[in-house]
Amino acid sequence: MPDDALFLISIIALPFLGSFIAALLPTNARNAEAWLAGLVSVGVVAIAISFRPVLAAGNVVRAEYAWLPEFGLNFILRLDGLAWSFVVLIGGIGFLVVLYARYYMSPADPAPRFFAFLLAFMGAMLGIVVSGNLIQLVVFWELTSIFSFLLISYWNHNQTARDGARVALTVTAAGGLCLLAAMLLLGRIVGSFDLETVLTSGPRIVSHPLYLTMLILFALGVLTKSAQFPFHFWLPRAMVAPTPVSAYLHSATMVKAGVFLLARFWPAMAGHEYWFWIFAPIGVATLLIGAFMALFQQDLKGLLAYSTISHLGLITLLLGLGSPLAAVAAIFHIMNHATFKASLFMAAGIIDHEAGTRDVRRLGGLYRAMPITALLATVAAAAMAGVPLLNGFLSKEMFFAETIESHVDTVLDKALPYIATIAGVFSVAYSLRLIHQVFFGPPAKDLPRQPHDPVLWMLLPVALLVLICLLVGILPGPTIGNFLAMAVHATLGPQTPTYSLAVWHGFTPALFMSGVAMIGGVALYFALQRYLSGDVEGVPILGALKGKRLFERALVFLSWRWARELEQNAGTTRLQPQMRLLVCVTIAAALWSLFSRPGSLDFTWPSSADPAFVLVWLVGGICAVAAAYQAKYHRLVSLILTGGAGLATCITFAWLSAPDLALTQLLVEIVTTVLILLGLRWLPKRIEGLDPDMTPKARLRRVRDLLIAVAGGAGLAALSYTVLTWPIGNSIASNFLERAYTEGGGRNVVNVILVDFRGFDTFGEIAVLAIASITVFSLLRRFRPARDSIELPAQKSFQNRFDADRYTGGKDPLSAHYMIVPGLIMRLLFPVIAMTAAFLFMRGHDLPGGGFVAGLTLAIAFILQYMAGGTRWAEARLRVLPARWMGFGLLAAAATGAGAWFFGRPFLTSAFAYADIPILGKVPMASALFFDLGVFSVVVGATVLILIALAHQALRVQRVSSDAAAAPPTEGSR
Amino acid sequence: MNGLQTLPAWAEILVAILVVLGSGLALIGSIGLVRFRSFYERVHAPTLGSTLGTASILLASIAFFSLTRTRPFVHELLIGLFVTVTTPVTLLMLVQATIYRDRLEGRDPLARREDES
Repeated sequence: MPDDALFLISIIALPFLGSFIAALLPTNARNAEAWLAGLVSVGVVAIAISFRPVLAAGNVVRAEYAWLPEFGLNFILRLDGLAWSFVVLIGGIGFLVVLYARYYMSPADPAPRFFAFLLAFMGAMLGIVVSGNLIQLVVFWELTSIFSFLLISYWNHNQTARDGARVALTVTAAGGLCLLAAMLLLGRIVGSFDLETVLTSGPRIVSHPLYLTMLILFALGVLTKSAQFPFHFWLPRAMVAPTPVSAYLHSATMVKAGVFLLARFWPAMAGHEYWFWIFAPIGVATLLIGAFMALFQQDLKGLLAYSTISHLGLITLLLGLGSPLAAVAAIFHIMNHATFKASLFMAAGIIDHEAGTRDVRRLGGLYRAMPITALLATVAAAAMAGVPLLNGFLSKEMFFAETIESHVDTVLDKALPYIATIAGVFSVAYSLRLIHQVFFGPPAKDLPRQPHDPVLWMLLPVALLVLICLLVGILPGPTIGNFLAMAVHATLGPQTPTYSLAVWHGFTPALFMSGVAMIGGVALYFALQRYLSGDVEGVPILGALKGKRLFERALVFLSWRWARELEQNAGTTRLQPQMRLLVCVTIAAALWSLFSRPGSLDFTWPSSADPAFVLVWLVGGICAVAAAYQAKYHRLVSLILTGGAGLATCITFAWLSAPDLALTQLLVEIVTTVLILLGLRWLPKRIEGLDPDMTPKARLRRVRDLLIAVAGGAGLAALSYTVLTWPIGNSIASNFLERAYTEGGGRNVVNVILVDFRGFDTFGEIAVLAIASITVFSLLRRFRPARDSIELPAQKSFQNRFDADRYTGGKDPLSAHYMIVPGLIMRLLFPVIAMTAAFLFMRGHDLPGGGFVAGLTLAIAFILQYMAGGTRWAEARLRVLPARWMGFGLLAAAATGAGAWFFGRPFLTSAFAYADIPILGKVPMASALFFDLGVFSVVVGATVLILIALAHQALRVQRVSSDAAAAPPTEGSR
Repeated sequence: MNGLQTLPAWAEILVAILVVLGSGLALIGSIGLVRFRSFYERVHAPTLGSTLGTASILLASIAFFSLTRTRPFVHELLIGLFVTVTTPVTLLMLVQATIYRDRLEGRDPLARREDES
């Protein structure tokens, strides 16, 4: 059934696609955004409805795509009755929320961000419910956490919004990690990540020794998401989100994901006492605490938030009871709660929107000003309270009936009917308070705005939801009966009990409990009315129970104090210990691998050598050793000697017929020497013989460091010698040589290896290069030199003074005097060097050259311009934007690589052809050339960025020192 | 080296003379660098190699490759051009630095030369 698979994937793909489009629309396109989002949600619901006949027959629609088949992981979509009802809920309420949001959001709010996040969230949520694979489910689960974070912090200029979003993300994402662990364990227990298999292997799961561990992790994931006590604190804090977001996240989606998962895995996991002992007590506690705290909220949305917590506690309790009938009640209540809570949130948003406040105490008598809103909200609140003839009554009565039944014979079980009734009392009381205090009583006087009913389109979603509440409440059988049956059957399978959906069951104990709750609630409210209208903030008794405070304390400890201590005890900011550790670990690793496989290091000394070659090496070696010897006090000398050693290496490459390497080495030597030379000035001064009476301890330390250094250096030398003299044998090199032209289209094997055979490595390397140069740049931006190197060196200031005395008329002594001739030559050479770079680049595929070498060459041209005229001169004439060069380079390389996909080849497959260009004749055109262009661009950008960083360091420090010293006028001309 | 056999005897002699001349000039320049005492004298010595010496070697190269291959090769002219253009830059910068240094240390560069030679 390919059509089914297509439709099934569209359920997830549509919202994400819509989100992508929504993000690209202009900021003020509210109508277009709303149309798009509305169409997407309607589309999702329509697809779901088209599947109904198949599902009603008890089938399951499945689509499977290969994802990571090597690990037994496939991307599986699975739609059954339960998932179907959630898809309809998410899509349907999503549509109403979009309609509502169109009129709720102010024109000043950026519409693309809102609708893009909302659609992406919808997609993630749909992904959870139709996932047929455990790991895939967790991925979507975490996506909902991330998008809910973005939605809650939508008004990100608001500190509380950011805080609330962060708390929500921390709690739910941490829960998600626990869930991932649980799913991995579950997959291990069952032996498959396929949901189908998991659902049918209940007995095996329950009897497994890892069951309890898995269940606790699972519970952590589910309970955090569904805001169960003691993790409930994130939900009220998330009320800073725009009201459409609250209406969506906290009625039909986000928090329902937790209970959805409970229902989903109910047949697989519920068959054990542990299930009851984890979920029932937490459900009871949440039910009671939520209901109690809701009564004392002064913020409309806060009240709704705590009532949501309480209702989720009820659902968790029902699912935790472990009886099939209770599970039916839970699924039914999930649907009912979604409808009435969404409408109530929207009503609260309307009140906030029209009256300008959500404080229950300030509102009052609003039914005169906004009669339609009042009517709708009253009906919805009545449904929440469980008034007969409304949907809330039905599921609540099922709940009451279920609490009377005995499940696990314990005190908790016996006390359940009483606890349920008390919770019912509170539920009635807060629902009544919501309506009575807002819409009735004396009219409010000092409202920020003059309230009136909103536009019809804003009321429509509320009205539709309330209509559903009424219809389901009065005629449950014909309206929701089929859907509920489908969901229940899909969840419970053969365990499906017989249940009755009638409004009237006769005089049952449940009805009696409902009555008690109703009367008790009304009485409680009127008893507390005076207290609640007074100046009370916070909740009595339970006010001290601050989950949030605990959470923040924990965060401070984890991410600040402990981290700090660990850093202080185990880390160091000094370079020397770090280097020492690094070298010691390297030596140890080398020795370990040497002695674990003994006899692998054997030297074969060369039998004969060319005397000239030996001489070159002798010079190189002496240079290297002398450089190390001079490094402490004579840095310039040391740098020159390093250059000598580098030249020896360069000659070696040329000698051994590696012109490519020789060329690269030469250019690298030049660039590094110049850049280090520029940086040398900022190193602090060393004064020879500063410490004549060194303590024996310091002496000992130096000897130790010397030993470590010699061991490291000699070890590395020995190692490279061994590798270089290794018998070549059957290596990969011959393979490269054979295939360079036939498959890579180039005669320069080195270049073909770089841009084609090992193109992915090169891609990684240029990325590293870009990162490294940005790091250098950022480090230098923050760099403050030592005090004694801020001032100009004595020689330089002498020179400036001398020039100023002699050439008083000159504007700029630097370019006016001794740099005239060299500067002119350097300037004139710029196009020549750039041309050389182009030449090296173009011929790279067949002859020595290529992107890297060409990039270095062009960088040298830039360096020369900076040297010739100074930073300001060069930048006034030649603006290099290194970040763009690097960005372009990385993108070009990636795009070339990705281009291969369009031809059905793997990433970075190269294609080549010869192009006939007039005058130049046949020119090899390999797609690798564009990749090489990327390499070239990144190299230029990275090198010039470091150059600019160093050059600006000099400018900045001059400015600082001249400001501080109130420099004489001659200095200012510099 | 391929094509060496096809080279006529007079050409071989010409190329050999040019190469020996060039490298000899470079050697003399290097010896001068070691032997001269003052900086201002020393900077002159290596120019022997970078001017006439380079020219000889380049001529030898042009002659050799043009005679062994079928067509004239004149790439070396570019090398000559660039060496001629860039070498003075180094020289100028070095001498400038030395002059400033002498001034800083209170010596007159001109007087010093007379002292030492």
